[in-house]
Amino acid sequence: MRVVVAPVSSFSDGERRIVDVGGRSIGVFRVGESFYGIRNRCPHQGGPLCLGHVLGDAVADAPGQAAVVSDPLRIACPWHGWEYDLDSGQSFMGAAMPGVRSYGVDLEPGGALLERVPGPYVAETFEVRVEDEYVVLHA
Amino acid sequence: MDDAIDCDVHCAPESYDVLFPYLSDYWRQYITEAGVRLNGMAHAYPRGVVAPAPASYEALAERVLRGASEPRIVVLNCLTGFETHRNPYFAAAVAAALNDWLREEFLSRDSRLRASLVVSTVSPDDAVSEIERMGEDPGFVQVLLPVRSDLPWGHKNNHPMFAAARAAGLQVGLHAWGRAGKAPTPSGFTTTYLEDYLGNQPIAQAQVLSFISEGVFERFPELRVVVSECGFAWLAPLLWRFDKDWKGVWREVPWVKRRPSEYVREHFCFTTAPAHLPSDPVAIDQVVEMMAGSAALVYASDYPHEHGDALAALLGRLSDEQRRRLMCGTAADLYGLAAGADYQIR
Repeated sequence: MRVVVAPVSSFSDGERRIVDVGGRSIGVFRVGESFYGIRNRCPHQGGPLCLGHVLGDAVADAPGQAAVVSDPLRIACPWHGWEYDLDSGQSFMGAAMPGVRSYGVDLEPGGALLERVPGPYVAETFEVRVEDEYVVLHA
Repeated sequence: MDDAIDCDVHCAPESYDVLFPYLSDYWRQYITEAGVRLNGMAHAYPRGVVAPAPASYEALAERVLRGASEPRIVVLNCLTGFETHRNPYFAAAVAAALNDWLREEFLSRDSRLRASLVVSTVSPDDAVSEIERMGEDPGFVQVLLPVRSDLPWGHKNNHPMFAAARAAGLQVGLHAWGRAGKAPTPSGFTTTYLEDYLGNQPIAQAQVLSFISEGVFERFPELRVVVSECGFAWLAPLLWRFDKDWKGVWREVPWVKRRPSEYVREHFCFTTAPAHLPSDPVAIDQVVEMMAGSAALVYASDYPHEHGDALAALLGRLSDEQRRRLMCGTAADLYGLAAGADYQIR
């Protein structure tokens, strides 16, 4: 199922949108020119995962020699800090621990969305234009 | 009997006079003119319940080495260095004198004996110097540190000590008590001796947290720490919470790359006296199970301190192989001693 989230032009770097897809709450994130979709429910205790911070990995060669790197990006649940790979949804504790569902996010031209695809333009009052690109969640 | 390595037997000189052959004129005069005295750690144990620690090889041989449960190897812990006051130069001089005394009085006279290396607990750089001076003597197997410290031992200022220890092939022995004047709890001084006596356990926990959180074992992957006379039954609940909280705040300490409990299981051992065990045998099984087995335990009599019969109760719940590991095998691996072989050291 495809869900139109927003026009790309209104979705700025670092922003997130949380959308309801048939009762599933899903967060859509923009980091630079990349978009990510991830379920807004932490597998740990059901916390609102997508309200957490998006963080680059922290690494250290030795005590005190710490740095933050941009790959992988993780989202940290605001409840207990449990983290998940923003792209794959894998737990920071490894693949053996429960991960979170992630979803593909594409940019598609408005012309490709002329069939009935649910999205914010249905309910919003602003003008719908088909010549822009849209952020489309594959949920 | 089966081989045994007793990881904690105490010895102590009766007075500073015994150390005079190993001290300079200046320090002999300092001790004499200022009336500096040893109190035999008399503040540490309930009055009248323990004999003084053996002060000579003859006393040790009579009371420990020829005892009914004769151990094959004894690791001597001389806590006299914990009595030394805050003068860093005096602490360093006494540590060196104690090691010379340990070597002459005990180690050179019986191949069954090993000792913990006494170091200054005031200045890590003096500790490094002493490890470099004496640490490669095969009689010494670990560096003796008190659980009560000026800084938690994992602090980076102490890392040169661990580097020196590993360079000399030594492990670390973290023993109950500490210099007089060091708070017996992580939050300060106690009102009663009862609290003081029990305080070694929670402060040992604070040291475990420090070693892991400060990344000591990432820097020194071969280092092992033997926690002596602080119990061990408290370990499981500490690690449950330690692992849990690490997951939430690991970004502060990205050098802690694995669950804290994994580091503890690889790098820490705990002596069996005192054991802090429940009296119900089934509950003892549960304690051992919660510790993921008895692999972290090493036998110690803690002579001359008497802690009751918990060891026998514990051993009675273990398999033959677990008993062998606890009594000998784990310590033999830890200290690089060949179990069941010729223990001649020189």
